[in-house]
Amino acid sequence: LCRGGLAERLCRLQNRERSAISFWRHQCISDDKIPSDKSGVLIVKILEIFEECTIQVAICQQLEQSPVTLSPEDALINAEEPILKVLFTRETAAHLKSRPQDVIHIYPPWQKLLLQNADVPVIMNTYFSQKVLLSEHSEAREKTYGPTKMLIRKNIISLAQTFRLDDLDDNLRQESSDNQVVCAPQTHNTRDSKRHPLALSAVNDSLLEMVESQGAVGWRDVQVRVVIQRVYCLPAREGYRSHTQGNKPLCTAPVTNSDPPNVRLCLLVQDAYGMFSEVQLQSLSSTDDIEQYCRRWEGKPCCLAGMKILQRTTRGRALGLFSLIDSLWPPVVPVKVPGQSQDSEMMTTNLPPPSFCYILTVQSGEIHVEVDEEEQISNLYQPPAVHGLKEILRINGCNERCSFWAQVLYQRLQTKHNVPIDQREMLLFVTDSSLQNVAHGIPKVVAVSVTASCVLSMETIEALSHGSHLFFKDVLWGNGRIICVERTVLLLQKPLLCSAAGADLSELTGPVRLDELDSTTQASSVCALRGTVVGVNESTAFSWPTCNRCGNGKLEVCPQDRELLYCNQCSEVVTTPVLKMQLEVFLSCPSRSQSTVKVKLLQRTISSLLMSSASEDGTYEMQSVLGKEVGLLNCYVHSVTSHPNCISLEEIVL
Amino acid sequence: STLPAVAEELLREIKKAFQETSHVPDDMLLGLKFIFGPAAVPALDLVDQHSVTRVRSPSGRTLYQVLGSSGKLYTCYSSCHFCTCPAFGFSVLQKSESLLCKHILAVYLSQAMGACQELAVSEEQLTNILLAEEEDEG
Repeated sequence: LCRGGLAERLCRLQNRERSAISFWRHQCISDDKIPSDKSGVLIVKILEIFEECTIQVAICQQLEQSPVTLSPEDALINAEEPILKVLFTRETAAHLKSRPQDVIHIYPPWQKLLLQNADVPVIMNTYFSQKVLLSEHSEAREKTYGPTKMLIRKNIISLAQTFRLDDLDDNLRQESSDNQVVCAPQTHNTRDSKRHPLALSAVNDSLLEMVESQGAVGWRDVQVRVVIQRVYCLPAREGYRSHTQGNKPLCTAPVTNSDPPNVRLCLLVQDAYGMFSEVQLQSLSSTDDIEQYCRRWEGKPCCLAGMKILQRTTRGRALGLFSLIDSLWPPVVPVKVPGQSQDSEMMTTNLPPPSFCYILTVQSGEIHVEVDEEEQISNLYQPPAVHGLKEILRINGCNERCSFWAQVLYQRLQTKHNVPIDQREMLLFVTDSSLQNVAHGIPKVVAVSVTASCVLSMETIEALSHGSHLFFKDVLWGNGRIICVERTVLLLQKPLLCSAAGADLSELTGPVRLDELDSTTQASSVCALRGTVVGVNESTAFSWPTCNRCGNGKLEVCPQDRELLYCNQCSEVVTTPVLKMQLEVFLSCPSRSQSTVKVKLLQRTISSLLMSSASEDGTYEMQSVLGKEVGLLNCYVHSVTSHPNCISLEEIVL
Repeated sequence: STLPAVAEELLREIKKAFQETSHVPDDMLLGLKFIFGPAAVPALDLVDQHSVTRVRSPSGRTLYQVLGSSGKLYTCYSSCHFCTCPAFGFSVLQKSESLLCKHILAVYLSQAMGACQELAVSEEQLTNILLAEEEDEG
């Protein structure tokens, strides 16, 4: 159960109530007399009983006094007495075993509910009820009814009867807010709202005050002024995506290309009191705009209005969000203190970081986020602190957000089938001058995981495969791993404003070097190696002809002349096919002499290996490649096993 | 029948209290427990977690999708009380023991407290959600 939520509250109330009920019942049994405290006690006589679902409904007459105190003559049904509908739960009803003519004392706390279109009030929460027996009457009853079980009519409720929570009152309230149009311009007239967006409304500078005074329904007529600290995209809520067993989540319904991706533009804003809030804006039609929004909006002041509270989240429940908030704490300028005069501000060095954060969203149809792009960057803005990768690897903490500028050398997709392109997880191998220019002790290349929750624009995805430089903003560092998660943004350009903290933001020139293969090399990494060929994996070695014009690897035999090959894509005979080969060799590498090293080679390495080895008939003698030297090759490590001591790699191009 | 009117009035009072004070008083929570029994706490939990979505198509057709605690997505109709969860079939339809299942109650409570997520879909997508339920039963 959510801590602080309604369910937890009800659980607690219910437990208390249950204890009170059992205590009271116990007391009734032991006392065996009517408890003396009569205040608030409802005395009713049952006229008729029926059941609906598990609730017993008793049509009763309310009595002024207990019949015990009246003489039997007075205890006649008086038509003037008010009628009530008293509800009992199944458990209370079983306890009471009521019948018509029984008198019940209902002790507080009970609740009365007045229905809109009915005259008869309803009494609920009747747990503390006790049947009052009139000795003469009970004897008489025993004789007439006997100890047989009474049959109670059960009403079956129609499913067609739904509940309408809107009523006339709601319509009235809406009308009155329309009457306030003189004070607060409605958004229907978009032209006006662009010029004087919310000029007539009061501007507040406290998010907390807005939230607490206006409630979850929405903020009307008031704006809050905040600073945009970060702009990023969040994928749609998990509920619509990740559950694919047995039920049919929305995303498996046929989605045409015209549907927007499930991505929302979000802002992390901070008010003058230092409080943060995440504002979820509209769905983005194209994730390519994210870079634009970042450049134009980060650091700028902004007015929020017409927001709705989606959630109040806490540190324990939203680690990702709070790791970002922590990276922006403490504030770089003094913040206001709530409740004190305008002039007093608090030095922020010792303020504890926030423990809760409101997540806001726009009311449907009305977007009230007015960013003043012309204004200067606010003093409260904290641009991402950029560090060299070398420094980042030395950070001690866990779940720290950090930013860096690096060149992507190699990309490895962890594809699962049927996963759309923007939900793929991947491993990027990156480096920068801080790693490349150091002789020993730290790796030259670092792996960065990109999870599916990190939203990438199509431009970024393209750039990744071209070995470009990228700005990694707000990635998570922890447990020796760099991960791109939600709220991490990958940008193609360096941000205009960032505190460089001594980091070298220049691009790498010259060839990049990888760490050499050694005994510490692990799986899913990249390295460079050199060695001597000691064997060939003949079972996986094969070659196939490709078209010299278009590179088509699926050539066919010409129907007319079975000696010739034909390319479907060029629609012509291939007279000089290019032979492509796949070859895995076993190497002896002095840098890791204990292991068997198996490398799947790339075409050009294979060609140079076999260059001087061809025999007359065009085939290759495997013997002829033994003893040849290869290297320096850049490789990706597939797997490392210890028994047998084997490392399996694949040559790659950076 | 009495119970539906009582339930409706209780939900209306909750909505009113929430709109006026952003708060649901204790006695109304206990009232929910009294009327709806064991469905009350799970329904509130679903509301706490914002598990209810109102799905709407351009023609104005709506339905609700509720993300259950097990991770399964259930569909509740707008025009009558119906839910695709097994508890509805058992407690409401078969045994007439409950008015609603926890998912339908969560829908009403989310409406009352403005906690419904909104999702606009095409006609085709809405149809597919409804038809998907048929396939499951078949």
